[in-house]
Amino acid sequence: MTRDEYQQSLAALRTDVLAMGDLVADRLDRALAALSTVDESAARAVADADDAVDQRYLDLESECIQLLARQQPVASDLRFVASSFKIVTDLERVGDLAVNLAQYTLAADRKRFEEVDLSSIGDLARDMLDDAMTAYRTDDAALCRAIAERDDELDALCQRASERVVRDLIEHEVDEGDSWAVEELMDDVSRLLLVVRDLERVGDHAVNIAARTLYMAESDPSLV
Amino acid sequence: MSNARVESEDVQTIEQTTTGETDERVREAWLDYEFTGETKLSTTDLDVYYGDDHALKGVSIDIPAESVTALIGPSGCGKSTFLRCLNRMNDRIAAASVDGSVELDGEEVYQDGINLVELRKRVGMVFQAPNPFPKSVRDNISYGPRKHGDIETGLLARLFGRDDREKEQELVERSLKNAALWDEVNDRLDDNALGLSGGQQQRLCIARCLATDPEVILMDEPASALDPIATAKIEDLIDDLAEEYTVVIVTHNMQQAARISDQTAVFLTGGQLVEYGDTDQIFENPRSQRVEDYITGKFG
Repeated sequence: MTRDEYQQSLAALRTDVLAMGDLVADRLDRALAALSTVDESAARAVADADDAVDQRYLDLESECIQLLARQQPVASDLRFVASSFKIVTDLERVGDLAVNLAQYTLAADRKRFEEVDLSSIGDLARDMLDDAMTAYRTDDAALCRAIAERDDELDALCQRASERVVRDLIEHEVDEGDSWAVEELMDDVSRLLLVVRDLERVGDHAVNIAARTLYMAESDPSLV
Repeated sequence: MSNARVESEDVQTIEQTTTGETDERVREAWLDYEFTGETKLSTTDLDVYYGDDHALKGVSIDIPAESVTALIGPSGCGKSTFLRCLNRMNDRIAAASVDGSVELDGEEVYQDGINLVELRKRVGMVFQAPNPFPKSVRDNISYGPRKHGDIETGLLARLFGRDDREKEQELVERSLKNAALWDEVNDRLDDNALGLSGGQQQRLCIARCLATDPEVILMDEPASALDPIATAKIEDLIDDLAEEYTVVIVTHNMQQAARISDQTAVFLTGGQLVEYGDTDQIFENPRSQRVEDYITGKFG
């Protein structure tokens, strides 16, 4: 492999990671939309399409390993390949979380806890992911730091949502003799808490991506 | 703890570096570079000329004891010239002239009247191509100590009651063991060294160097002519040697420098030392954009 081909391989890796980011963001968008509109067919499509994300992840992992093995990159090239290697893992996890969200949509009773604002949480998590991939594309260190700061906002939203669910649960009147109703309520509550937790984790993965991007851009491991 | 100093009066170009610093600031950073251990070798404003060719420009650097310091850079950048200054091997080149200072344990190497044989005993050298003498393995090892009079095994010595054959055997065994060669050649110590493989010959040359009990070992691309297995053995050996000796190695193989060295000095064209620091830092986050471009293959 000539040096030109090497440089082309590095550029291709960035393009491919960004393409995986687009794919995962699309899955997350569809999952959030399905959650919002209770669209079972859309949710099922997301749940069934995870193989494409997994395959993209395996391909990119292989691409990174090939570059490490054959080119032994150093300095900024090394930081780029090492960061990309870690970032694709985070993207794959976000893909899994999108599948989780879709599956909750398929299983949940949508009439309960309508007052919990999942869309704001989902939008913020989605924006953080989008910004993280923008920072990766443009080597934007300032944006990386901003994403890390916004995670506190997301955590606070998730905390408030969880507290609301628990408070509503306490206030909810269920006929104690109706064991079926109690069980159904508990399933819905736990699912909703899992939705909140998974959206919070999307934000955590966005922060991870920002952390690796900051290391890549400025050799600054402070967010890792 | 010592400060490493790298300066170059001739290099005044202001250039953006990877962290937005200038080359001048990169050099200032070296002023604060501290390494663990004592300084073994120190050069100050070292210039070398081959006739009108200014081959090395104002290099000031401290090299720590009992560690591996790698010198890397493109061909013709002055790294081998710098290496040869450390034990005055450049004296053998008629056209070469040297300005500046080289100190070994604080003592000036370029002072008048210094014993060059003693200097080169303290600062041994291993070259690119293995160059064993066309003698037995044993004689290759004991050649230096015999020349220095440390070992006498001849008939005349024995007549005068001195017989160092046991001492010679111990020296040969110790040197070959330290060079990780004993297990491979202990049953053919009296065979001609030219019958050894290339990798074994190079380790024999290192053993020959060790036999004179040096403090510093200079290596000029010691593994460039060897296959990967022999190279790995040399690299393992260098790692072991650094526990007891100060090793300075010139290599064109940057991965090798990254694998085996504690400090790396990067020379670039024109005889300039552009950056010096911990090997981890040089290969992960060099300060100089020119060094970044060189080690990532975008230049040179």
